[in-house]
Amino acid sequence: MDYTRISLRPFRPSDAEDFLAWAGDDKVTRYLRWNTITSGEEALIYIQQVAIPHPWRQSICLDDCSIGYISIKPESSNDRHRAHVGYAIGSDYWGQGIVTAAMKIAIPIVFEKFPSLLRLEGLVEEENVGSQKVLEKVGFTKEGFLRKYGFNKGEIRDMFIYSFLKTDKIAS
Amino acid sequence: MERYSDSDITLRPLDISDADDFMKWYSDEKVSKFCSWDTFTSKEAAIEYVVDNVIPHPWHKAICVSGRTVGSISVSPFHGMDKCRAELGYVVASDYWGKGIATRAVKMAANAVFVEWGELERVEAVVAVENTASQRVLEKAGFMREGVLRKYFLLKGRPTDAVIFSLLSTDPHVNYFMDA
Repeated sequence: MDYTRISLRPFRPSDAEDFLAWAGDDKVTRYLRWNTITSGEEALIYIQQVAIPHPWRQSICLDDCSIGYISIKPESSNDRHRAHVGYAIGSDYWGQGIVTAAMKIAIPIVFEKFPSLLRLEGLVEEENVGSQKVLEKVGFTKEGFLRKYGFNKGEIRDMFIYSFLKTDKIAS
Repeated sequence: MERYSDSDITLRPLDISDADDFMKWYSDEKVSKFCSWDTFTSKEAAIEYVVDNVIPHPWHKAICVSGRTVGSISVSPFHGMDKCRAELGYVVASDYWGKGIATRAVKMAANAVFVEWGELERVEAVVAVENTASQRVLEKAGFMREGVLRKYFLLKGRPTDAVIFSLLSTDPHVNYFMDA
């Protein structure tokens, strides 16, 4: 994989078809809190109403085509030094280090964009080993195992919690 | 040292008529050190805080010892997809520290909310790493220590590392027949 082909940018309405290709796949949305997208219209609505207005939800692009996303959302008021990280990528692109590369691009950008941000955190379900590897390769610290932490797709899940601080170094 | 039996410790709604009692902990720097609020210097300010934050809270009770109000305990449910969990917080006046009061109150509160909220499966508490006394309360109450969260919350404006603990409705320490 030539990682210079990977870039991050805001979503555009014209991404709808590419977005549907990965967000319409149950394998991709399995561990996400949002449901599989089922049509081009739904993809367009999601991009316009959720992705574009979001504080920081960007498309992971291969040759400027959307193949996934990274989302970073600071908590409100008293906890705005903390932000949750979410990400996903089309299943054809799994296992090639693409999300890891995109995350390494994203992290310095968001720490600059949100000056009060000190801590990024990721919550990953126990079975989602691929996602855990992404965070570990970026340099996140695994802090603990949270039992029955939240619902996803109708079931209560156990999750690992990871963090990356502004003072941490991205793993090389 | 005075010891209290479990039946001496009760929970009931906190009221502004408890102002003289709750002022004992709201005005105490030893207590406010690890709390989100700063030491109150007037009864009026403490009453206003209680009216704005405690009275309307979904679950916030006075901890009483032989009928005397010595602290308070709250359980705050999360919403939407996180409504399986709730966060526990508690405070006890410093004169009553070291007598097992908080431990007993935590056990009573956890049992009560697991019974009252059918969807609740997890009660969690987040404690600053320096607050070892509060960590012992949770361990004695049967909570499991899950990890240290770095720079998790701002304590007096300073990013603070915190230990996260949890108690599940299915944990053996939960006693559904305990009188609350």
